[in-house]
Amino acid sequence: MRIAITGIGAVSAIGKNCAETLQSLLEERSGICSMRILGSRHTDLPVGEVPYTDAELKVMAGVAPDEPMPRTALLGILAAREAIQQSGISNQPITFISGTTVGGMDLTEQHWVDYAQGKATENIHLHEAGESTLVIAEAIRNQFSAFSWVATPSTACSSALNAIMLGANLLRTGQTKAALVGGAESLSKFHLNGFNTLMILDHQPCRPFDAERNGLNLGEGAGYLLLEPEEEAKRREATILGYLGGYANACDAYHQTASSADGEGALRAMQGALRMAGLQPADIDYINAHGTATPNNDLSESAAILRLFGDHVPAVSSTKAFTGHTTSASGGLEAAICVLAMQHGVVPANLNWASTAGELIVPTAHTTYQPLKHVLCNAFGFGGNETSIVLSTTGIDLPTADSKEPECLCTIEQTDDTDSSAYISATESRRMTPQTRRIVVAARRAMAETGIAQPDAIICATQWGCMLQSMRFLQEMIDSEEQQLKPTPFIQSTHNTIASLIAILTGNHGYNSTYSQGKQSQECALADIRSQMSLGLIRNAMIIEFDEQVDAWDNVLQHIGDRTENKARVTMYTVKRNN
Amino acid sequence: MEQLIEQLKSQIIEALNFEDLTPADIETDAPLFGEGLGLDSIDALELIMLMDREYGIKLADPKAGKAIFQSVRTMAEYINANRTK
Repeated sequence: MRIAITGIGAVSAIGKNCAETLQSLLEERSGICSMRILGSRHTDLPVGEVPYTDAELKVMAGVAPDEPMPRTALLGILAAREAIQQSGISNQPITFISGTTVGGMDLTEQHWVDYAQGKATENIHLHEAGESTLVIAEAIRNQFSAFSWVATPSTACSSALNAIMLGANLLRTGQTKAALVGGAESLSKFHLNGFNTLMILDHQPCRPFDAERNGLNLGEGAGYLLLEPEEEAKRREATILGYLGGYANACDAYHQTASSADGEGALRAMQGALRMAGLQPADIDYINAHGTATPNNDLSESAAILRLFGDHVPAVSSTKAFTGHTTSASGGLEAAICVLAMQHGVVPANLNWASTAGELIVPTAHTTYQPLKHVLCNAFGFGGNETSIVLSTTGIDLPTADSKEPECLCTIEQTDDTDSSAYISATESRRMTPQTRRIVVAARRAMAETGIAQPDAIICATQWGCMLQSMRFLQEMIDSEEQQLKPTPFIQSTHNTIASLIAILTGNHGYNSTYSQGKQSQECALADIRSQMSLGLIRNAMIIEFDEQVDAWDNVLQHIGDRTENKARVTMYTVKRNN
Repeated sequence: MEQLIEQLKSQIIEALNFEDLTPADIETDAPLFGEGLGLDSIDALELIMLMDREYGIKLADPKAGKAIFQSVRTMAEYINANRTK
């Protein structure tokens, strides 16, 4: 099957649609400037804001002014609508896979004090990452097309590329005929302060791959691709903008926030994407790098690129000096930028680059016109969740398979932590919450019971994510008025903390992902492994269902008659044997 | 100085969740990173925040921590010379 791209949508600081985005790129006009909308006290930090208030975005998105809606969803509606309109698809069910991590955190931080008093409770359920995806789906359904199924990958900054991967796997196993895939993420005080505790935010516009780079600028936005089998696109007489040629997800398995010096995970992701596409490094004309401009990322990514391409590094640029780092949206936004780049034969500039250091790749500093046939797009996330995709102007044949159910090997549920020391060393457990310990014990017991020490895939499914640390960080941020915050609660607040922690503890470089789609989270994880096993991409998998009981969040949830519960259930799956 | 060193050891144990250690377990001159306590980059950020919260010292450049956090003694000396509270 050739996977055609028939629609793209992009919203960021440099444009509310693809046309504006392209114009800004060609004119080398950055969207990074002083904060105007977020309302954080850290106004000294430049950001890549989409230059519209929520009220303005609601008008643009066709949403009623009084309808509670996360900014993530508002940005998502604009980009999703654009991609669907461009594809011309209608009267056909579409699978919608949209990565996010922030979700409705912007509403939660705005209304935290209200919630304690039982006010503004209509916003509470929107906190869940998966709710933003449902809200976008609902808005689009009302305006255009129906969505048959939704999923929300939440692997921090690689979320959107993981959404693209799942969409492609569902197409190749015949589980859908069209998939709208990518991600959406708004700025929030929560993650601005979080990144600030990591001391990786530049107080000037960011300088990817520059010797003097001093951190990233956060941005926000959304980006989607409409994927469908080439034959379907041709049958509809749709314009094909490009093709998804290959993709791979690998785990760096090194550290919760830092990338390894040799870029092992990034290298594996890029190699895997090339292998699937049947391409050699020399076939790649352009790399849209993750290129956040932190000292660590750019060094690690350079090492990976140099290991793969040697003396023949193609044109490379990071477009984050235009848009800021749009975190969970970045893979979708930058994939859309890659499609624009291929359509117009242009390598976007790596703005603000001035000088090199020996160990760094030298990016394309200014807009350069050249034909692009195959491009790589990278997105790397916390916990070493690395994903890379190949986009091409020509169709690349990918094998298909019938969808088969995996076989369950064992399920381990951990409800107490009395014997955790038998499974977790004192050094390992130092930073773990009690619930994290239970999950790690369950995972190690499941590995021991099945004799599978290195599952090909580790996938988490969670409704609320790592709520203890999230609520800790949020409460401290509000109490301290965004000052003197500790980094550890933020580092452990992302939904993918657990899956990457298991990979780090066991040195597992395999597929690593996390879904947060309310009570359907496990179903999303199962759909993922079902398609990957059917295609022969993985032989076995570990699915970790987890949630964490947290009093602070229960105090909020009581207003809508809900509560959190501890869950630590690990199930091992394998390819079903033919009898 | 000795009093500051003891206080600092307790604060490090608390900030970095060394639940099973007592101040007596931390050698004043032993390296904090690598060997010794085996701290990592997240711990370095926590120590920078500890100095901010407890002693009113703000470090703008995380790389500056490397020299300061060689041992509990070097950290105490830096705090003694730069504290604002």
